[in-house]
Amino acid sequence: MLRPPSKARLALLGAALVAIAARGAQDKPAAPAPQTTAQDAKAADSKPATYVGSETCQTCHEDIFKAFQKNPHALVETDKKYGHTTQACEACHGPGSKHADSLNAADIRQPAKLTAAAADHICLTCHLNQPTHIGRINGSHAKNQVSCVGCHAIHKNGPDGLVARKPADINRQCAACHTDVWASFMRPYRHRLPEGAMSCVDCHNPHGSVLPHGMQTVDANEPGCFKCHGDKRGPFTYEHAPVRLEGCPACHQPHGSANPRMLARAQIGFLCLECHANLPQPTLPANGTMGTVAPAFHDMRQPRFQNCTICHQKVHGSYVNRDFLK
Amino acid sequence: MRFLLALVLLVPVLAQTAPQTTPAPAQDQPPASAAPAPAQPAAPAAEAQATPQASADNPAPTSAEDFHGSIDFGYRWLTGVNGSMDEYRSVVNLGQGPKLFGLEFSLRDPGTHLFDELDVRAYGWGGDPYSTAHADLRKKRVYDLSFDYRNIAYFNAVPSFANTGAPGGFDEQSFDIHRRALSAGLDLFPGGHFVPYLAFDHNSGSGQGIETWVQDSNNDYAVPTLLSDSTENYRGGIRIEYSRFHLTLEQGGTTYKDDDQASDATLLKGDNTAPIFGQTLSLSNLEQAYGIRGHSIYSKVLFTSHLAPWFDVYGQFLYSEPKTDIHFSEVASGNFLDVSQLLFYSGLVTMGTGTDNQPHTTGNIGFELRPLRRLRVIESLMTDRYHDAAAPAIAITGIVAPGTIFTPLTEPTAFTEYVNYNQQQIDVLYDVTNRITLHGGWRYVWGDAETLAGQLSQTGPLATGKLSRNTGIGGLTYRAIEKLTFNLDFEGTSSDDIYFRTSLNDYEKGRARARYQVAKALSLQANFQVLNNRNPAQGINYSFQSRDNALSIFWTPDAGKRISLMGEYDRSTLSSNIDYLTLPFLTSAVSRYRDNAHTATSALNLAVPGIKDGKLTLGGSMFVSSGSAPSRYYEPLARLSLPVSKHVAWNAEWQYYGFGQSFYLYEGFRTNAFITGLRLTQ
Repeated sequence: MLRPPSKARLALLGAALVAIAARGAQDKPAAPAPQTTAQDAKAADSKPATYVGSETCQTCHEDIFKAFQKNPHALVETDKKYGHTTQACEACHGPGSKHADSLNAADIRQPAKLTAAAADHICLTCHLNQPTHIGRINGSHAKNQVSCVGCHAIHKNGPDGLVARKPADINRQCAACHTDVWASFMRPYRHRLPEGAMSCVDCHNPHGSVLPHGMQTVDANEPGCFKCHGDKRGPFTYEHAPVRLEGCPACHQPHGSANPRMLARAQIGFLCLECHANLPQPTLPANGTMGTVAPAFHDMRQPRFQNCTICHQKVHGSYVNRDFLK
Repeated sequence: MRFLLALVLLVPVLAQTAPQTTPAPAQDQPPASAAPAPAQPAAPAAEAQATPQASADNPAPTSAEDFHGSIDFGYRWLTGVNGSMDEYRSVVNLGQGPKLFGLEFSLRDPGTHLFDELDVRAYGWGGDPYSTAHADLRKKRVYDLSFDYRNIAYFNAVPSFANTGAPGGFDEQSFDIHRRALSAGLDLFPGGHFVPYLAFDHNSGSGQGIETWVQDSNNDYAVPTLLSDSTENYRGGIRIEYSRFHLTLEQGGTTYKDDDQASDATLLKGDNTAPIFGQTLSLSNLEQAYGIRGHSIYSKVLFTSHLAPWFDVYGQFLYSEPKTDIHFSEVASGNFLDVSQLLFYSGLVTMGTGTDNQPHTTGNIGFELRPLRRLRVIESLMTDRYHDAAAPAIAITGIVAPGTIFTPLTEPTAFTEYVNYNQQQIDVLYDVTNRITLHGGWRYVWGDAETLAGQLSQTGPLATGKLSRNTGIGGLTYRAIEKLTFNLDFEGTSSDDIYFRTSLNDYEKGRARARYQVAKALSLQANFQVLNNRNPAQGINYSFQSRDNALSIFWTPDAGKRISLMGEYDRSTLSSNIDYLTLPFLTSAVSRYRDNAHTATSALNLAVPGIKDGKLTLGGSMFVSSGSAPSRYYEPLARLSLPVSKHVAWNAEWQYYGFGQSFYLYEGFRTNAFITGLRLTQ
């Protein structure tokens, strides 16, 4: 039988947690990520490398150094907050004394050649603790070894330097990997990405999100669709269950479709009746309980009944009619 | 630079949208608006490989210039739209006239105390259906201000979407609206670790359309409607950022209004012109007005923490309580029928008021644990809860004759609904070597919901459902050499409860992706994706399979100085079978949906011989599908760019738009669009 923990043990545990939290809250830069590369192992053979300052780096890397001055990361060079004043280069590349002495590329950390997780760890030393990364740990990019530098060019400057910002550029960057998704945008009914009116990040957060598929959230953590389609947001007096339970993709193909209004079926009647086909019965089946069959006056042989939304036009939710007629 | 600045100011003025005489959507009209996507060669996937992101080794050189910019403007002609103008406007919607295709400029270190950096870009002005503008203004360590505006025309009038057999021809279910979205955000950096911020979002829709006014099951009438809705979101908060933890406290609010109106004073026979009990139903007058008002306040707390080198944790909590106040009125007259009482009547008055509250609570917490150098364990837990309390008061009165009234039907006066969703997931990632990472995990989602059923539901006033789904997750990332990466993902699921017949039930989902830099000038990417979902329950027998294969190639010999080729081909197949009950006799049938598509995009760039910086681009996209909605959509493109002087280039472009459907031949269209214009750069 388990004994309840003693007060002393609880106090000890509490003290330990407080100590960890207090240590965490100290305003000190986190230690750089442990190195896993061969060059680090080589470097470890002798005396540890030390910081030499960015001016030393400039001696050989003049072009990078100059470009870097207008880069957002140049703040690291001057802002004490980041703990690497005058050492911006080494904030990411690690202490550079050995490299400066040997001029050997193997004597300095090269994030581009690290594993994705190790490279990310360098970036996240500063960037983890930002709201945009609230879902990063769970983001599919992080889990699929897509590192920060896969999308962000750390040294570049200018309006599109660090990351693509124009919609067309963003779309190109995403489509470079998500070729199959981009193909969907060649369909006739689509969101206007090929036209440059929207970009992938309007709907998806590449850093991760609390919603599936990295969906952006708006307002009170609602799906990003409502950022533009606010009239579908509700709350409605009479909600249509799939809108809340499965979201827009329950009926729409948001990337593109051959069907009008990006619907998942060519005929609306089938789209609705595939769910609304449960007969009333005392014990409902576990596999798909919601959506009972429509009353029999819906004579599907007549054209006026074949497209349900002719009458049930407020299918996203209604304020005044529980059958979504108005 | 002065010249360019003058143009920057002048061209938007010249390119103002002319007053648009948008017609009733159902009528054939020349396109009132147009959209010049600045000629996308339609092969972004491959193009991106030409300029690999994150080229940390090749930083852009610092320019001595403080001002960089370009402006694209010109004129577009259409050769006329052959086929369905409605369909053209629903799919393309580009128009003729002078256009500002693009404007971009950035200003650095202007020598003012107001800002250090200004970036502005705008595309598609001059009556195009996708007009956007974006501006970023920054002063380092002081503020960061961003502004974004979009005006997207949304036209939809597709006969096959509505009643193809409407007695009066296609006259319903269409709209011609503009959706406008505006976002503005201001981050302040007063120093230290505190970052206060304010933000505002607005989105609205306005325009006209055709909706149907429904008289029970007997008839429906197409009536013109004016659409008007808007949503505003205001939020502000403070971010507290330390190197080991971050905390965001945010308070926000939303307001919403919907003022849709419908009115008609003509005698309409509706979709059902057959006499019922010897009488023809009709609508002779309708006045309908919505006055919906919504508002909510929400509070949000987010935190992330790098507690130890081996432990990160994050979480958030949000509570909101959106409320909607309902005001609705409708007065209709004509000849109507109440089937349940076999009663003809001549007037119908509906007055609706009430409120709806929907408290929403959501929270999630997760951590990443790195107990060993090569091992990561990621755990997350999320809960999301909507609880809805509605109190509508809908009074419906039928008027048989002056002084003789009855109530056709009643609506419930108070009810509650709820949706609870929960998710727990654990992932384990292990770096077998520097080149191989294995990934495995498990996800469990569960929840329940109760909503109001339809008026004539046979299973009681409420519909309930449960969700319980277990998913196993696996994956592999293999970086064989620096130029070859391979990624594999797999999910296998078994469900005990799902909400809908078509929901993901027992499924397997797999994805493989490979990228290979064959040579300096040649790279390839291949994607494969498959999803099999089954629900074998009796009366459902749902079987869904989709596959997608994509291959892209990018070829840039000699860094693309003379020629470059980008191409992508995608083959997708989708097959879905599910039992359903067809009406009116509730006979069992199978709904079959097929969508087998070929999609290709390409762009071939050629240097014009003898002309420095002259470029010819050939390419475009094509989509051909067979199955339940056989369609063809072609967008080939040719573009020529010739330099006129150091800062001026002349552009000419041709693009063809051709759309056809095998089942609805009358919805096809084709047209040619020609563009000529200048591009000024600084």
